[in-house]
Amino acid sequence: MTQIVEILLSGITQGAVYCVVAVGLSLVYGASRILNFAHGSLYSLGGFLAWFLVVGHFNLPLWLAVLVAIPILAAAGIGIERLIIRPLRGSANWKINTIMVTLGLAFIVENGLQLVFGPGTKTIPPFTEGVLEIGGITLSWYRIWIFAISLGLVAALEYFLSATRYGQAVRAVSQDMQGANQVGVNVNQVFSLTFALSVVLTGIAGILLAPVFLVSPLGGWAPFLKAFVIVVLGGLGSTKGAFVAAFILAILEAFVIFYIGPSWAMPAWLVMLIAVLMIRPKGLFGVWEN
Amino acid sequence: MADRSASITSQFTGAGLGRSSLIFWALVGGLALLGGLLGDSYVRHIFILVFIWCIVIASWDLILGYAGIFNYAQLVFFAFGAYGSAMLSIYAGLTPLLAIGAAALVGAGIGVLVAVPSLRLKGEYVALFTFAVHLALPPLIQQGRAIGMGGNTGLLGIPWLNLFGFQVSSIDKLTWYWVSLAFGAVCVYLIYFVILRGRMGLAFIAMRDAETFAQAIGVNEYKYKLLAFVVSAVFTAVAGGIYAHYTSVVTPKVLGTEFFLMAMVMLAIGGMGRFPGAIAGVFTVVIGNELLRSFDDYRLLLLGVAVVVTVIFFPEGVAGAFKPKPPEKAE
Repeated sequence: MTQIVEILLSGITQGAVYCVVAVGLSLVYGASRILNFAHGSLYSLGGFLAWFLVVGHFNLPLWLAVLVAIPILAAAGIGIERLIIRPLRGSANWKINTIMVTLGLAFIVENGLQLVFGPGTKTIPPFTEGVLEIGGITLSWYRIWIFAISLGLVAALEYFLSATRYGQAVRAVSQDMQGANQVGVNVNQVFSLTFALSVVLTGIAGILLAPVFLVSPLGGWAPFLKAFVIVVLGGLGSTKGAFVAAFILAILEAFVIFYIGPSWAMPAWLVMLIAVLMIRPKGLFGVWEN
Repeated sequence: MADRSASITSQFTGAGLGRSSLIFWALVGGLALLGGLLGDSYVRHIFILVFIWCIVIASWDLILGYAGIFNYAQLVFFAFGAYGSAMLSIYAGLTPLLAIGAAALVGAGIGVLVAVPSLRLKGEYVALFTFAVHLALPPLIQQGRAIGMGGNTGLLGIPWLNLFGFQVSSIDKLTWYWVSLAFGAVCVYLIYFVILRGRMGLAFIAMRDAETFAQAIGVNEYKYKLLAFVVSAVFTAVAGGIYAHYTSVVTPKVLGTEFFLMAMVMLAIGGMGRFPGAIAGVFTVVIGNELLRSFDDYRLLLLGVAVVVTVIFFPEGVAGAFKPKPPEKAE
């Protein structure tokens, strides 16, 4: 019994972080219809940035590293949108070309990280030690913290999207780009904003999970694919959907890892993706987009 | 709707099939002669790789460039061809040529397996699903150690090709040059001159450029998209089989970053759906990659940069930039 509760708890804390990666992916897709294949490598970038600031060079505390990383990640997001996404906008074969450049970017980031930091894995100490123990069930305080921070981030994003002017502009562009343009929304600015937010979110998720898993240049593909499955199950552009889907899928993953083995986690996600597509292709809450 | 003109002449409009076939086979003949003239076995080795890659990229061009299906599982088909052929010849004792033929059937099966979920998806979702299959395969191959897939070290000692009782060892580069050229030329001819100029090719282009219209005039979308996967997978699996018997080693590296990036650069430089762009891309990239060997640490990074830069500056491939622009459509 305690074992099952512990697996559930591990799935729930994990799910919150996956949710952060997923809403970042969904935000960019919603606004600009670009599936950013470099999303996972930017997750790794976050992890390495934290390692550089915390362990490698500056010995900053982890929370300060997060604060320093945010503007760097945001700048990276804006740079990516400006330099490699915007030039393609409006060109023929736009869709396949954005897939090619974001995939290319993923490999650039991945191999760049490998060149700078070496191919090995890195680890960061968590900012808090100790475990919480209630009735024989243990959970590390760090996991509770990352759970809370992740929920906070998702809630902040939801507030931003629903209650602020910029957030409304993002939603307007998501619903109808031309219409938004006609009523005076600066569409380019919205694209830059969503890319910046998306990279910040995935980067922070990478930082938060760095003490739990190891940081490695290739480590971003798994969270990226998981985020995609979550986005598909939750329904595109639906933060609520991503939220629910993240927990369902992360709990399933926790059980697969415990009962079958960690190397089956990725195939399990693939099976879950196929199952979702077969049973409910428009997702739990979303509207199927063509 | 993709705003591009169909860059292929069909057998039905009949424009110049005989003449371009003649040019194609003349070039192949020239390459065959060149193999005899090249003394250096290293240079021959590079060309053998070029010919094998040509099959892979032509098949990828068929599905991605002509049929407009964003399939990124091409190297999965290659891996199944390589592993299938290797395992059939090692464990079942099939003679390599037969094993390659059987690997083509394996490829067809995998093509169907990847196609069925993909056909429920649209656009970039297909890209992500197929790429996920690509990423999920290496761990499965490691699990496959139990059924003799060799895990991380891969399969060693794959039997040499046996042509009419004559063993062709990996060291015999000249014979391999001609064998791989023959396979490459036949496959590329079948893809670009027979399949894509026939009914199937017309259906692909119609679906790519005007999906709703294609359906309206009776193109069976499901059937032709499934066919695109199967045909593409069969040819790629053959390439994988040839590769396995040439190198006599297959490891999960065939699904590694280097192969995938090279394939992407080939299509990006050559341009999709515009024969002979992709084939020119293969020659450029394989040879360029060898010239870059001295920058080994930076090679993968440079390949990534090459993808991004070519797509941004030459969205229709480098070759596309030198072609005269098609006349503007009258509004």
